Amino acid sequence: MTEMLRLPAEQAYQAELEALKQEDTGARPPNWQLSPRAVVTYLMGGKTASGVEISAKYFGDASLIETAVATLATDRALLLLGVPGTAKSWVSEHLSAAICGDSTQVIQCTSGTDENQIRYGWNYAQLLAKGPSLDALVPTPLYRAMQNGTLCRLEELTRMGSDVQDTLITILSEKMLPIPELNQAIYAQRGFNLIATANNRDKGVNELSSALKRRFNVVVLPLPDDRAQEVAIVYQRVQEMGAALDLPVPAQAAAEIEKVVTIFRELRAGETQDANMRLKTPSASLSTAEAISVMVGSLSQAHWFSEGRLSAQEISHNLIGAIVKDPVQDKAVLAEYLETVLKKRSGFEGYYRSLHARL
Amino acid sequence: MPVDIHYLGIRHHGPGSARHVYAALEALQPEQVLIEGPSDASDLISLLMHAHMQVPVALLSYAVDQPQSSIYYPFTEYSPEYQAILWAHRAHKPVHFIDIPFAIRFAQHQQEALATEEAQEEPAQEEAATSQEEQSVQPQDSVHQDPLLALARLAGYTDGEAWWHDVMEQSQAQQDPLQIFQHLALAMEALREAQGEEDQEDHLREAYMRVEIQKLSKQQTQGCIAVVCGAWHLPALKQKVRLTADKQTLKSLPKKLAASKYKTTWIPWTSPRLAQASGYGAGVQAPQWYQHLWQFRERDPQESSVIWLVHVASLLRDAGHFVSSASVIEAQRLAVSLAALRGRLHVGLSELKSAVLACLCFGDQTLWHSIEEALLMGDQVGEIPADAPLVPLLEDLKRLQKTYRLPPQATTKEYALDLRTDLGLKRSHLLHRLSLLSVPWGHLLDAQSGRGTFREVWQLKWQPEYSVHLVEHLVYGTSIEIAANRKMCAHLQAESQLTPLAQQLHVCLTADLQDALDLGLQKLSECATYTHEGLSLLTSIVPLVDVSRYGSARQLSLAHVDALIARLVIQAGLALPYESRQLNAQEAEHYRQAITQVHQAVNLHFAEQDDVLATWWDALEQMFAGVQTTPLLRGLSARLLYQAQHVTETQVQKSFNQSLSSAIPASEAAAFFEGFFNQAADLLIYDQALAGIVNTWLMQLPEEDFTHCLPLLRRVFSSLDTQERKSLYEQMTRPAGMQLNTHLSLQYLPLWQQQSQQLHAWLEVEKHHG
Repeated sequence: MTEMLRLPAEQAYQAELEALKQEDTGARPPNWQLSPRAVVTYLMGGKTASGVEISAKYFGDASLIETAVATLATDRALLLLGVPGTAKSWVSEHLSAAICGDSTQVIQCTSGTDENQIRYGWNYAQLLAKGPSLDALVPTPLYRAMQNGTLCRLEELTRMGSDVQDTLITILSEKMLPIPELNQAIYAQRGFNLIATANNRDKGVNELSSALKRRFNVVVLPLPDDRAQEVAIVYQRVQEMGAALDLPVPAQAAAEIEKVVTIFRELRAGETQDANMRLKTPSASLSTAEAISVMVGSLSQAHWFSEGRLSAQEISHNLIGAIVKDPVQDKAVLAEYLETVLKKRSGFEGYYRSLHARL
Repeated sequence: MPVDIHYLGIRHHGPGSARHVYAALEALQPEQVLIEGPSDASDLISLLMHAHMQVPVALLSYAVDQPQSSIYYPFTEYSPEYQAILWAHRAHKPVHFIDIPFAIRFAQHQQEALATEEAQEEPAQEEAATSQEEQSVQPQDSVHQDPLLALARLAGYTDGEAWWHDVMEQSQAQQDPLQIFQHLALAMEALREAQGEEDQEDHLREAYMRVEIQKLSKQQTQGCIAVVCGAWHLPALKQKVRLTADKQTLKSLPKKLAASKYKTTWIPWTSPRLAQASGYGAGVQAPQWYQHLWQFRERDPQESSVIWLVHVASLLRDAGHFVSSASVIEAQRLAVSLAALRGRLHVGLSELKSAVLACLCFGDQTLWHSIEEALLMGDQVGEIPADAPLVPLLEDLKRLQKTYRLPPQATTKEYALDLRTDLGLKRSHLLHRLSLLSVPWGHLLDAQSGRGTFREVWQLKWQPEYSVHLVEHLVYGTSIEIAANRKMCAHLQAESQLTPLAQQLHVCLTADLQDALDLGLQKLSECATYTHEGLSLLTSIVPLVDVSRYGSARQLSLAHVDALIARLVIQAGLALPYESRQLNAQEAEHYRQAITQVHQAVNLHFAEQDDVLATWWDALEQMFAGVQTTPLLRGLSARLLYQAQHVTETQVQKSFNQSLSSAIPASEAAAFFEGFFNQAADLLIYDQALAGIVNTWLMQLPEEDFTHCLPLLRRVFSSLDTQERKSLYEQMTRPAGMQLNTHLSLQYLPLWQQQSQQLHAWLEVEKHHG
C-alpha cells in the first residue's frame, strides 16, 4: 500500500498496460510502448484477446481519441481544447502513459512561465566555475523528452505569455532545440512529441499565434452529450467526494442531481430537453465539473447549516453562483429561463421559487 | 437454346457500383439490358439520353387526381442505372425496366388508402389519403434499403461507399470485371439467410421481375442479357422458381390503374434532394462526396483525397478563413494515418472529416458546419428538355381551375370570395399559393381593408408567361400545394429577422401552407431565442396576434402560435425595463409606437387574469418606476397604467410632479408629457387633477423653454378635434376652475398673460387651417 495521495497513470493502471503490451502484435511507431490501436483500446476500454478487462478512461466519441492517437503517430503535436471539466488533462496523462510509459514529463504553463522553464536553465555554480558547457545546463521536461524520444505534456498552454509560447515553433517545425550560447543544438529523437491542453472558454488568456496554432492538430473534447451518462458521472463523483469530505449523501440526492444536470444541460445547449424551445445561454461554461461542485457545495451547506436537509433551497444558492457570472446579462438569461421554462415544469417548483426569490 | 443471364447487383447511387456495372457491360456486350425500375416507364428511358437532359433528374409518376401521391426515381451521373442506360445507348442495345409498374403501385396505394379509410371510418379522410405524400414507397428497415450499408455498419464503417471501396474492390480483378458481382451475390445470400423472414413487398416485386426477365429473354435467341438490380434482390432473382408459381404469387396484386389515371414524366432534381430517401428507398448521405468519387474514379485514391481537401480549403477561404497549404498537407497526413489506425485500405469521408476538423478548422465545429452544406450537399439542379411529355404543375393547376370553377381568362374579372364557404376558402388558398410561385394571376384588392377577415376581392387575369413560371417551379414539387410549401420553406430558411418571419407566417396561413407554417414557427422560436433587442421582439408580437386571430376565425388550431406569443410577451416584458433606458429621441419614438400597439394587442389576446398579461403589466410598472427610463416611455407607461387603474391617481400625480418639476430639464419634462398625452390628450378635459398639474408646469416654464416646447404641445393637442380643443380651452380659461383656484400664484400672473396670448394666437391659426 502506497502512502502517495495519487499515483501517476502508468503506475495506477500498470496491470492493464502490461496486459495490452503482452498481446499487442500491431506495428509500433518508433519508441512507442504500444501500437496505436492498443492505445485507443486503453483509453476507450474493452477486453484484450485473453480476456483481461480494460477499464474505459474516456467516455465519449471514440473517433476523437482515434484522431488524437493518429496525430501523435505522425510527428504533429496534439492540442486538446475544451471547456473546464472535459477531461483534457486526464486524456493527456493517459495518452502519455500508454504511448511512452511516462506521464510525468509535465510543464504547467502559467503567466509566470518563462523561456528557461521551457528550453533549459543554467546551473550558475557550474557556469561560474567552468564556463558555458552542456554540464552547466539544467534540462527541462521538454529537453529531456526530446533527448529520450518521449512525450512532453504542456498543461494550460494559453496561460503562458505569447512570446514564451512561440519558443515552441522551432521545436515543433524543425524538431530541434538550439543552444546558441554553446553553438550547439539538441535534436529530438524519434518518438518525441507534445501534448498540450488549453481551455477555450476562458477570457483574458493569451491566444495562440496562428503560426503556432498551425503546428498543432486540434481535438476539441466536448461535454457529455448523453444526459443519463452525465447524471451518472456527477452522482459517482459526488458520492466519492462526499465520502472523502465526510459529508453524508442523503437518499434524495440522486433525484436532485438529475434536476441540476437537466438545468445545466438545457442552459448550456441553449434548448430544452424536448428540443421544443430554444434558450439563451449564459456566459458560464456550466460543465460537468461545475455541476459536481454545485452538488458538493450544497451537500456541505445542508450538512452544516440545514440539519442534513438537501432541498432546492440549499442547491439554489450554489446554482446561482454557477450560472450567473455576469451580473447583468446572465441574470436576464436566467430570469427568462425561469419564466419560460421552469415555471411550468412540474417537479421544479422549488427551484423556480427559490431561484426567483434570489434573482 | 436459353440465353445467358448475368445479374449485376448494385448499390443504388454508389459510384463504385456504377463504375463496375459499366465495365461489366463492356465485357459482356449483352443484347439487352434489364434494369430494376417500373416496367411501364420503359418508353421514357430513351429521353434520358436526350441532348438537353442534364442530370440529376428524376422519373416521376403521379396519380392524375392526386398529384400529391407520387413516386420518384432519381438518377444522377453516378447512379449505376444511369451508367447502364448510357452504355446501352452507346452500344445501341434495348433497355427495359422490369419492376412492378407504376400502374400497379398506384392501385396498391389506393387499396391501402381505402383500407385506412375504412378502418378509421371518419368523414374527413381525404387528408389521410393524400397525406401519403411522395414517399409512397413503404418505409422498410435499413437492411432492405441499403444492404451494403448494413454490412458496412457491421464492419464498423459509417459510409457504405467506404466499405465498398475497401472490401469489395480489394480484390480488384481487372481481368474479370464480373468477379466482384459474384462476391456480392455470395454476401447477399448470407445476409438474406441471416435476415430470415421474407418481406411481402419484396416477395411480390421479385416474382414480378423474374416473370419479366423470363418473358424478355424468350424473345432473344443469341448473345446474353444483363440484369441490373439492387444487390438485395440478387439471390431471389437468381433463384429458379417455376413460372406458374410466380404467376400464382402475382395474382394477389391489384388490377392495373387505367393509363389515364396516372402520368409519368421526367422532372429536374437537385443534388441536396438526392440525400433524401425516395424511389429505391436509398438516399445518399453526401451527394457531393459521391460526385467527387465518381469524377476522380480513375485517379489514385491518395490524389483524389488531396483534391477533396484542396476543395475544402478553398471553400473555407471563400468563407473568409485563413487556411494555409501547409495545413492541407497536414490534414492529408492525418487522414492517412487515421485510416491506417482504423485498419482501412483507403481514406474515406469520415477520416477526411476528422482531419479537416483537426487541421483546417482547428477543432471548431461551427467552422465545419458553416461549409458542411455546400461541401456535402451541393447546389446542382438538373434540366429537362422542353419537349418532355407534360408538366405536373400545369396539370395540377388545370385540374384545380376546373374544380374551383376559375377558368383562366385573358380579360380582367373580379371575384368576391367569402372565406367562410369551403369553395371561397379553397379559391383564396389557390390564388395566394400561385402568387407565391411567381404567378400573380389574381390581384388582391383592398387587402388591408377593415371589412373583417372573411372577405377577399380578387381581380383575375391570366398571362401566357405564367405557364413558364410554373415550369420553373417544378424543382420545388409536383403539385401547387407542395411547390408553394417548399418555396416558402426555402424563403423562411433564409430569413433570420424576427419581424419579417412573423409577417411571413401570416402569408403561410392565408395560403394554407402547413409545412411552411410549422417551419416558420420553429424558426421564429429559434430567432426569438437569439433576439436580445426588445424592439424586434415587440414588433413581431402584433403580426403573430393577427395570425392567432385569423386562425381562430377559421377554427384552426394554433396552439403553437399562442404559446409563442406568450413567450415573446414574457421575453419582451423582461427585456423592456432595461431596454427602455437612455434611448435617443428616434429610438424612443419607435418604442413608443411598438409598445402602444403591443399593449392593445395583448390586452385583446389574453384574458384579464392571465399570467402572461401580468408579466406585461409588471414590465410597465418597472418602466414607470425606473428613474433611468427614457422620459417618453416613462410617460407612456404611466398613462397605460393609469388608464387601467393599475396605479392610483396620487401615484401618477406624484410622478408628474417629479417629472415636470423645475429641476428637470424642460426637454425631458416635455418628453414625459408627450409620452403621457400622445393620442390621449382628451384625458386633460376629463381629469381635472391632471389638468391642474399640467397647467402649473406650463405656467412655470420660462419663455424660452416654452417656445421650445410649442411644437410638441401642438403635436399632442392635434389629436383633439375642434370641439374638444374648444372645451379644453374653455376649461383652462374659466376663472372659476378648481385648478386655477388651487394653483393661482401671483408671481406667474404676468407670464401667464403673455403665454395665453401665444396659445390663443396658435389656436386661431389652427382654426384658419381647419
